[in-house]
Amino acid sequence: MLLPVFTLKLRHKISPRMVAVGRYDGTHPCLAAATQAGKVFIHNPHTRSQHFSASRVFQSPLESDVSLLNINQAVSCLTAGVLNPELGYDALLVGTQTNLLAYDVYNNSDLFYREVADGANAIVLGTLGDISSPLAIIGGNCALQGFDHEGNDLFWTVTGDNVHSLALCDFDGDGKKELLVGSEDFDIRVFKEDEIVAEMTETEIITSLCPMYGSRFGYALSNGTVGVYDKTARYWRIKSKNHAMSIHAFDLNSDGVCELITGWSNGKVDARSDRTGEVIFKDNFSSAVAGVVEGDYRMDGHIQLICCSVDGEIRGYLPGTAEVRGNLMDTSVEQDLIRELSQKKQNLLLELRNYEDNAKAELSSPLNEADGHRGIIPANTKLHTALSINLGSEAQAAHAELCISTSNDTIIRAVLIFAEGIFLGESHVVHPSIHNLSSSIRIPITPPKDVPVDLHLKTFVGYRSSTQFHVFELTRQLPRFSMYALTSPDSASEPLSYVNFIIAERAQRVFMWLNQNFLLPEDTNIQNVPFQVCFTSLRNGGQLCIKIKLSGEITINTDDIDLAGDIIQSMASFFAIEDLQVEADFPVYFEELRKVLVKVDEYHSVHQKLSADMADNSNLIRSLLVRAEDARLMRDMRTMKNRYMELYDLNKDLLNGYKIRSNNHTELLGSLKAVNQAIQRAGRLRVGKPKNQVITACRDAIRSNNINTLFRIMRVGTASS
Amino acid sequence: MDLNLNRADYLQVGVTSQKTMKLLPASRYRATQKVVVGDHDGVVMCFGMKKGEAVTVFKTLPGQKIARLELGGVLNTPQEKIFIAAGSEIRGFTKRGKQFLSFETNLTESIKAMHISGSDLFLSASYIYNHYCDCKDQHYYLSGDKINDVICLPVERVLREVPVLACQDRVLRVLQGSDVMYEIEVPGPPTVLALHNGNGGDSGEDLLFGTSDGKLGLIQITTSKAIHKWEIRNEKKRGGILCIDSFDIVGDGVKDLLVGRDDGMVEVYSFDNANEPVLRFDQTLSESVTSIQGGCVGKDGYDEIVVSTYSGWVTGLTTEPIHKESGPGEELKINQEMQNKISSLRSELEHLQYKVLQEREKYQQSSQSSKAKSAVPSFSVNDKFTLNKDDASYSLILEVQTAIDNVLIQSDVPIDLLDVDKNSAVVSFSSCDSESNDNFLLATYRCQANTTRLELKIRSIEGQYGTLQAYVTPRIQPKTCQVRQYLIKPLSLHQRTHFIDHDRPMNTLTLTGQFSFAELHSWVVFCLPEVPEKPPAGECVTFYFQNTFLDTQLESTYRKGEGVFKSDNISTISILKDVLSKEATKRKINLNILYEINEVSVKHTLKLIHPKLEYQLLLAKKVQLIDALKELQVHEGNTNFLIPEYRCILEEADHLQEEYKKQPAHLERLYGMITDLFIDKFKFKGTNVKTKVPLLLEILDGYDQNALIAFFDAA
Repeated sequence: MLLPVFTLKLRHKISPRMVAVGRYDGTHPCLAAATQAGKVFIHNPHTRSQHFSASRVFQSPLESDVSLLNINQAVSCLTAGVLNPELGYDALLVGTQTNLLAYDVYNNSDLFYREVADGANAIVLGTLGDISSPLAIIGGNCALQGFDHEGNDLFWTVTGDNVHSLALCDFDGDGKKELLVGSEDFDIRVFKEDEIVAEMTETEIITSLCPMYGSRFGYALSNGTVGVYDKTARYWRIKSKNHAMSIHAFDLNSDGVCELITGWSNGKVDARSDRTGEVIFKDNFSSAVAGVVEGDYRMDGHIQLICCSVDGEIRGYLPGTAEVRGNLMDTSVEQDLIRELSQKKQNLLLELRNYEDNAKAELSSPLNEADGHRGIIPANTKLHTALSINLGSEAQAAHAELCISTSNDTIIRAVLIFAEGIFLGESHVVHPSIHNLSSSIRIPITPPKDVPVDLHLKTFVGYRSSTQFHVFELTRQLPRFSMYALTSPDSASEPLSYVNFIIAERAQRVFMWLNQNFLLPEDTNIQNVPFQVCFTSLRNGGQLCIKIKLSGEITINTDDIDLAGDIIQSMASFFAIEDLQVEADFPVYFEELRKVLVKVDEYHSVHQKLSADMADNSNLIRSLLVRAEDARLMRDMRTMKNRYMELYDLNKDLLNGYKIRSNNHTELLGSLKAVNQAIQRAGRLRVGKPKNQVITACRDAIRSNNINTLFRIMRVGTASS
Repeated sequence: MDLNLNRADYLQVGVTSQKTMKLLPASRYRATQKVVVGDHDGVVMCFGMKKGEAVTVFKTLPGQKIARLELGGVLNTPQEKIFIAAGSEIRGFTKRGKQFLSFETNLTESIKAMHISGSDLFLSASYIYNHYCDCKDQHYYLSGDKINDVICLPVERVLREVPVLACQDRVLRVLQGSDVMYEIEVPGPPTVLALHNGNGGDSGEDLLFGTSDGKLGLIQITTSKAIHKWEIRNEKKRGGILCIDSFDIVGDGVKDLLVGRDDGMVEVYSFDNANEPVLRFDQTLSESVTSIQGGCVGKDGYDEIVVSTYSGWVTGLTTEPIHKESGPGEELKINQEMQNKISSLRSELEHLQYKVLQEREKYQQSSQSSKAKSAVPSFSVNDKFTLNKDDASYSLILEVQTAIDNVLIQSDVPIDLLDVDKNSAVVSFSSCDSESNDNFLLATYRCQANTTRLELKIRSIEGQYGTLQAYVTPRIQPKTCQVRQYLIKPLSLHQRTHFIDHDRPMNTLTLTGQFSFAELHSWVVFCLPEVPEKPPAGECVTFYFQNTFLDTQLESTYRKGEGVFKSDNISTISILKDVLSKEATKRKINLNILYEINEVSVKHTLKLIHPKLEYQLLLAKKVQLIDALKELQVHEGNTNFLIPEYRCILEEADHLQEEYKKQPAHLERLYGMITDLFIDKFKFKGTNVKTKVPLLLEILDGYDQNALIAFFDAA
């Protein structure tokens, strides 16, 4: 049994995920964590006497070994580490929704203070790819930015959605670190510098990522899932009803391999084997865990695992010695093994008895009503499932439909569908009332995103009066583009927007792809090249046309740029295309984007004007206050009153100004996100190298504020005409 | 002294009922004892432990489900004869397994509880109690509510026969012959009785009881009255008590109290100088503890607590340390034993797996033929659906002998499903189209591996009634599921009590018409929980109830052709009126409904609600302030500048937050009940005041008792 080697109780709250250990003076490890009211506290148990006496830092009134750092803004991310290798000690990095501060705790000075328009939701510190100096990489609204120790912006790229988690990991085993980005659109993307080398789709927002060793890394989702990936393959995952607040890799049982340590929202901390996900150690806090970090906090040469709860409780664990390997829990392994084996035996015995009972039942008389009650059904009962498209009626919108039916007079009592990402929770239940029971059920399914989903079905089959039911378990895959219905080509008024590209594939293969990714009626047969197929979106009625010419040229007509991107990416993976250059035109979308870009400029100028106004007003306040106080000293109450009235009005103006400013800021953020997304979408229309070229070129165009070039790049894929 | 017990699993038998495992008396002090256990397959098994291996002494053939197992024998000799109750039959075995008795009692119901004393046999089925002496019928009693356990004070010490019945209606009935001598009210439905210290304490009259809501108490049964000695409230909200034993496990010369609960908790209480029980040890075993006894099984010289669990595990919690300190050689030997056990288990498993595979194939083949049938394997589900008095919510406990895969919860009434901390299952709520399919709640619980027990918490609304269904699917092949139904009654938050305050202003509802006593009783059963399904004996019956949420009361008295319901809460009367008239119409019975409304009762109910509401409002306000105050504290460094009230909040912050968390949506529920009260008051006057409800809610937002009462009066 592993016990904590130290326990501290600090009287400061700790914000979740914002904990870091650093040697801010080069020798003594200190714990820094974000706390309430826009403050960061630094717990320094080693040098008690040292006092900070500067503007930013002040001594905590509650504890002698804690100092507080005033950020005056809600902290959104925090980390510590070596930013400037020449300095020889760690810097503290604090991100907020508008700024990034790199802070030298020892000298009590700012290393840099940068405004970041996209906000900083996540931060990671380290070297990336071939960039020699360590970077502080922040992830904001669709954007990634890396700063060196002088605050120079050395790395900038965009990603699909708001970033929630970052990690550095040697993903492809080349000895250089790649950047893992977990974002709001459920994707984990891997950036080799600014090139995306891999993309993994998860089922919820990725809240945490951590490198384990080699190409292995752990992840956590907002629905309570944690797991481990090796490159693009998932090793294992588990789901809990609680949420993983923080994950960290640490070798707790001294076997030379890191375990995945997870801190949960219910206060539990557990260590799971990286290979199997088996729990090898657990402990409990009285409140949610805020962060899991490591450091030599006792300064005795041994690295401890340090877990912090939101209430300020901190526990340190030393890794178990080699003798107690695999034996960190208090119950003995053998006992558990015996229990497990006995349970298995019991299950097998039960199963055996079930078959015996079954054989007995078979010998008795033919099927009758009483049998139905006990849940006896004909042994040849089969379950049929079919996926189709229902164009909907007045009462119900169009949807994909799953039809389940039994092969005889048995009824379906209920259907449970476990699938991730397409229902509110992880499951959907259909339970008809007792009067509506029948041998077939139609279940409408409307996946909100175009992703392939595995539907795990559990169907309860029996008779009307049964109290026991047979459970039929089967899995069906819902094709990626199930929300598109085939329509006849001529009826569709073809959308103006298109993408155009050439692939060297036979028409049969293209048709196979179509069959696998769309819900086509069964009688659709292969047409000869050239052919075209048209679909209508069940979500918004938008048209989609796919045309294939003899030359292998494929044209996709749709107004939905995301859909076009999805189709190209899906084709690319199906046909194993590495590089694909595409010609695209989305007049409507580009026009909108143009407007957004104009708006961004406007917001920027409004922002500057408002800031100037605010500065003016604050000067005015100062003078008013002085004058009012003068009047008071002169006992000129009337003037004093007037001055204070003016001050009051001015204050009101300031408050209003603030509201306008913050509105302006949100709008600006929204627009910036739209721009970032546009670049990302333009990239998704291409595959491989052309994709990265487009993203890089678009970025340059935006930097140089050359809107026309930007659109040309988006259309043809390169800047040069 | 710290009590440190190590768990050792001995053996698994079939599913066991309450009180079906005993230890045979030891031949000498601290020698190893044999264990006898009876299971649902009807098998009685006696085994001892030899070098860590279970050695069977005897094992009977399967038969009817064994409900109880007791030891007996001639008084003042070692009690080593084994008696089991299965169906309506009692069987006796010697300690070698020879059957010497088979006694068919001819009871119409199967036996639920049994006590043996010399040649006296005390039996009880669901409602019937019977006393036999030398298998000859002596006394008989028909109880008003279900009998959960029966015991008799030690005859050799009190020199008279005093049987005590534990009845579901929260009463212990002390009998004399065939008559009730007196009744004792206990704080919850008693589930188990045991003699204090195993012999009735100093006087021989001390009786321990445990209730299904987890309370524990000691009562002295004197010839004329009962004396309550102590009671342990269930503060930690643990499970109901299933078994009690007295044994000196601590080793201080005083027998300790061993308790097993239905949430898998095993507890040891020892007694302090004032003879008050103090919790010394607890450990959880993850499934219901059906029997418990102190003794010595695993190794002589080491005392232990032996328990049997629902799924049939016989487990020891022993004082023997796992790793001996004597030397490395010893430890090795223990490991060797373990290894042997494991390897033998593994080979057994392999064999079984092969057999199962064969059978599976056969089963698959049979599905090809058109004549064959496929039966669903039956598995037993141990379920409990009870009302918690403390937070006026229901808890549903489901326990299966093997691991649960998933549970589907479906309800045709609006109810709230609350989160239970102990659960590790992932819950997911599904959308439901209520109009066509009568679904108000559809939720799935996907259980983690090795979950055999699931606990759910449900909050119901009075007046809304229907059925809650749970589809339980365990992880056994072939996959099947079993459905369990639970009624949510119209007055779901009421609980039986035995005393009410007669001075309260009461509203009365009187029913007259052509209906029988049994019919009216069935309606009462339909409306209210905790009423026995069988119509009680006699011509006229009175039941008292208490609303667990508001503490209002209900008195129901009825006989053939007439029923009178009195309550100080107008809403209760209104619900009863609606439901009863609907039920009567369904059966085409003409009902005359008379009601008498007491205006003062509304004010009285509001006054009852007032302290609860005020407390909740204040609590909510305080909890809201905590974070801001803490921030101030961090900023200023001390709290001297705060007014005492705020300082007090800061000091109690943790406690307040805990309290607040414990009662989610309490305020909303109170608001709902006040609104119902308001609507019901005017419904009886024949006016519809639904339009005024927003106004009422506005008043509640800025709560003031007088304003509220004035509003009720004025509207």
